[in-house]
Amino acid sequence: MLLQLNKVSKWVQSGGQKVYLLKNIDLWVHEGDFISIMGPSGSGKSTLLNVIGMLDSFDEGEYTFLEDPVHTLKEKHRSNLYKQYIGFVFQSYHLIDELTVKENLEMPLLYKKYGGSERKALVADMLDRFNIVGKKDLFPAQLSGGQQQLVGIARALIANPKLILADEPTGNLNSKQGEEIMEIFSGLNKEGVTIIQVTHSEKNTSYGSRIINLLDGGIV
Amino acid sequence: MFKNYIKIAWRNLQKRKVFAFINILGLALGFGCGILIFLFINYHLQFDDFHENADRIYRVVTEEHQGSNVGYEAAVPPGFANAFRTEYDYAKKVAKIYYQDALQIDIEDDNGTKKFQNDIVFAEQDIFEIFNFPILEKISEQSLADPKTAYVSESFGKKVFGVQNPLGKSFTLDNNETIQIIGVFKDIPKNSTVQGDVFVSFLTLKGSGDFVAKDIWSGINSSLRCYTLLHPNQNIANIEESLISLVSKHRPKFKNVHRYKLQPLSTIHFNNDYGGINTNLLWIFGLVGLFIITIACINFINISTAQAFSRSKEIGIRKVLGGYKQHLFWQFISETFVLSLFAIIIGFAITFFALATFNELFGLSLSIQSLISFKTVVFVLSLLVMVSLLAGSYPGILLSRIVPTLALKGKLTQRDTGGKLTRKILVTTQFVISIVLIVSTIVIGKQISFAVNADLGFKKDAIVMVPIPEELEKIKIDGLKDRFFQISGVEKVTACFASPGAAYSNWGTSVKYNTRPEHEEFFISAKLSDKDYIKTFGLELVAGRNFRESDSITEVVVNEKLGEKLGVASPEELVGKYVELNGGFIKATISGVVANFHDQNFHENINPVFIAPSHNAYNEFAIKINGKNATTSLLEIEKRWKEVFPKYIFDYTFLDQRVAEQYKEEQRFLSLSKLFSGLAIFISCLGLYGLISFFVAQRTKEIGIRKVLGGKISDILLLFTQDFFKLILIAGVIASPVAWYFMTNWLENYQYRILIDWWVFAIAILGVSVITIATISYQAVRAAIANPVDSLRSE
Repeated sequence: MLLQLNKVSKWVQSGGQKVYLLKNIDLWVHEGDFISIMGPSGSGKSTLLNVIGMLDSFDEGEYTFLEDPVHTLKEKHRSNLYKQYIGFVFQSYHLIDELTVKENLEMPLLYKKYGGSERKALVADMLDRFNIVGKKDLFPAQLSGGQQQLVGIARALIANPKLILADEPTGNLNSKQGEEIMEIFSGLNKEGVTIIQVTHSEKNTSYGSRIINLLDGGIV
Repeated sequence: MFKNYIKIAWRNLQKRKVFAFINILGLALGFGCGILIFLFINYHLQFDDFHENADRIYRVVTEEHQGSNVGYEAAVPPGFANAFRTEYDYAKKVAKIYYQDALQIDIEDDNGTKKFQNDIVFAEQDIFEIFNFPILEKISEQSLADPKTAYVSESFGKKVFGVQNPLGKSFTLDNNETIQIIGVFKDIPKNSTVQGDVFVSFLTLKGSGDFVAKDIWSGINSSLRCYTLLHPNQNIANIEESLISLVSKHRPKFKNVHRYKLQPLSTIHFNNDYGGINTNLLWIFGLVGLFIITIACINFINISTAQAFSRSKEIGIRKVLGGYKQHLFWQFISETFVLSLFAIIIGFAITFFALATFNELFGLSLSIQSLISFKTVVFVLSLLVMVSLLAGSYPGILLSRIVPTLALKGKLTQRDTGGKLTRKILVTTQFVISIVLIVSTIVIGKQISFAVNADLGFKKDAIVMVPIPEELEKIKIDGLKDRFFQISGVEKVTACFASPGAAYSNWGTSVKYNTRPEHEEFFISAKLSDKDYIKTFGLELVAGRNFRESDSITEVVVNEKLGEKLGVASPEELVGKYVELNGGFIKATISGVVANFHDQNFHENINPVFIAPSHNAYNEFAIKINGKNATTSLLEIEKRWKEVFPKYIFDYTFLDQRVAEQYKEEQRFLSLSKLFSGLAIFISCLGLYGLISFFVAQRTKEIGIRKVLGGKISDILLLFTQDFFKLILIAGVIASPVAWYFMTNWLENYQYRILIDWWVFAIAILGVSVITIATISYQAVRAAIANPVDSLRSE
């Protein structure tokens, strides 16, 4: 088992009332799963993804990641954990505008204290693998949306994570670009990478193995 | 990692050119000021530190105890040096030196006579043994122990003899002695208390009859200094104690009791009592430097925190990809470092080019070499590190705290990035500094103009002071006076010892009044002159009449202050009374009393003064000319003067210039405070401009909506300016008492001073407001007149 959520809830206080963002979520994720989270706007999809990615805290319940109890960990341990095992892909790519493709790919490695030659090798691998060698010195603004998302995925993969969290990865792309991206995810999953995606598209869910439907913060 | 930081810092600079420019320019100016002020302070701290035996070198000075008053004189009686040398065994070397200003030096060569005016130091040979003034070459077997010899500096030699070697050459000193140059020394460093280009053997004075050349103890000439190099391990207190016997031996009856003190070389430059500089001045400059750098740092902090919003996405990504808070913190420090590095390079360049002007404006002699000295480099590097930390850490902390989930969703608001209150406080701080500096500048300026333009009790306008370079018989003086008087532009002429105020010569002496048995405890100042003195300088006779001239002094005119000091009720009462002056040498009747006039600058109180004729003491003519054809009158005066003194250089000054000259230090202080307050305001405005352009960019949409809903341009302007007005008002409330405190303190140095009016503060606050509006308006108006359709469409 990769991770397990046990009765996880998250709320905010609004006008003296608790408004649940997540309510009693139970979730098991095994290695090699490809899970799609669906649900209407405001149902808590992104919040759930952020909680799984340890970017957001929760108020109640237990979260175990690779046998580590996340809910009791200090912030530093927690970020060590996600740094090591989780890669993120975003709807709007979130590349750093001031850095080139190559430098964007290199950045996670810098924070993980990889040596210079190792960084070079890994970046070259990724550029190769996603067929973007020719784009390596361009800045994000010089790329199309699909190309930017490719770089985003490559960046998420570069440190060899066990889990990829993708928040509407095709949301800003046209259908053809979207399909390409989903093919890539599918391929990665076959290689053994666990993927959790948030999506609005029924079509995208067909690439996955399991669907979780959220409504008002709870699983239905 | 650091390389990555630098890279992104550099790209950010390029992306936000305007902000980078504002930050770098502000910091560069701050650094430039900082470096200049550092050089200035360092220059003073390094005074006299280059002598090998500096810790054993002392200047002998005199405390004059007169009743309960103590006076301080950086000199000793002429007899002291020889007594200390022969009767005591504390000193390895003792040397006296005597300064004379602007003596005439004539050089004969093939082309005739060249005339120069130069300050002369009459010195004993040992001065070169006490101090490390390296002799470059000399005629062996000769020294300053021989009369009519001289050492000159390398640059003086070049100036006077050009390419020829000055060694062995001769010059005529003051149209009198022929002096041979027997040595050339390396130019004395500017940071030496003892200065001079021409050191003439002290013995040369022997024949002159000058009082300093004799071993006498009856008085002190403040230009006669005594330096000594003591044997190692001496107890200074013991030496000073043993010197008391000199006083009982040589000055047993004097009411003015001398105490001779040994002043360590290292304290000479800083001891205010004995003419050293005021160390407060160094502190003030240090503080001002700090202020200006602070203002530049504040700009940086404000602009960085205001930009936090636009940097938030990057920060979010970095955090998600594994960056810790400290990674981000150091990233921003590195960015600040890169920016500061640029600034410091530019600041260094500014200093390099400004140094000459700075020296000239403020009478300094800082060298380019001192700019690249080890100390300066260390200072600059520590400044760089300090500013990077100071300016970078707050934005660093603020930015590294940004919550990544919010940042990535673009849900971050200005409230989440925080820093709004801090920004307000910092902007207020800038306003406070600016207002304090403006108030100080106005007060200093007002005090100087008060001192220069106030009614001094004598007329100073259009009075030309012309020297009498050698002693003349009375008949010759009167003859020349008449010749001047015949010039059509000349209204009045008098020959005198010194002008009423801003005097080049001062002489204070004892006074015994009427039938009182004892001498008074105060001195009376002598203004020896002919009978036209009162008329020429427009002094006001309040009782009696002018004195009558006769062969010896039988009548004197005194000022009201004497009556006040004596406890005599009215000036009329003084008239006809008998006084003994100068230890009984002058016995005379008071024939009249003049109203008080400022015989000193405004730092000092008015002294008791007497005016009496004594033609052999006259140093100068004072010639009152009328405003018309001043140039012609001056030419005529020069022509007639040259007929009597053909060998001398004609050198005149205007009295009002002399009066202004007394406040030279203050004038420099004023220029400095003008410069620094100008800079402070300029740098603050740069920051405001940066802030406002950022706010305008941020609120484009809001402005658009307001305009669509019917907002007028003036409403929108008000939107941006009202916040700043509040801050200026708060700053005014804080700055006014601070400035008032500092300036009241400063004014206490003056016996005659201005009051600080409330409007000074009002003007400063108003001035800052106006400048602020001007700075803000450009951006705000541009935003306000923009078509709202454009700003709203992009949403």
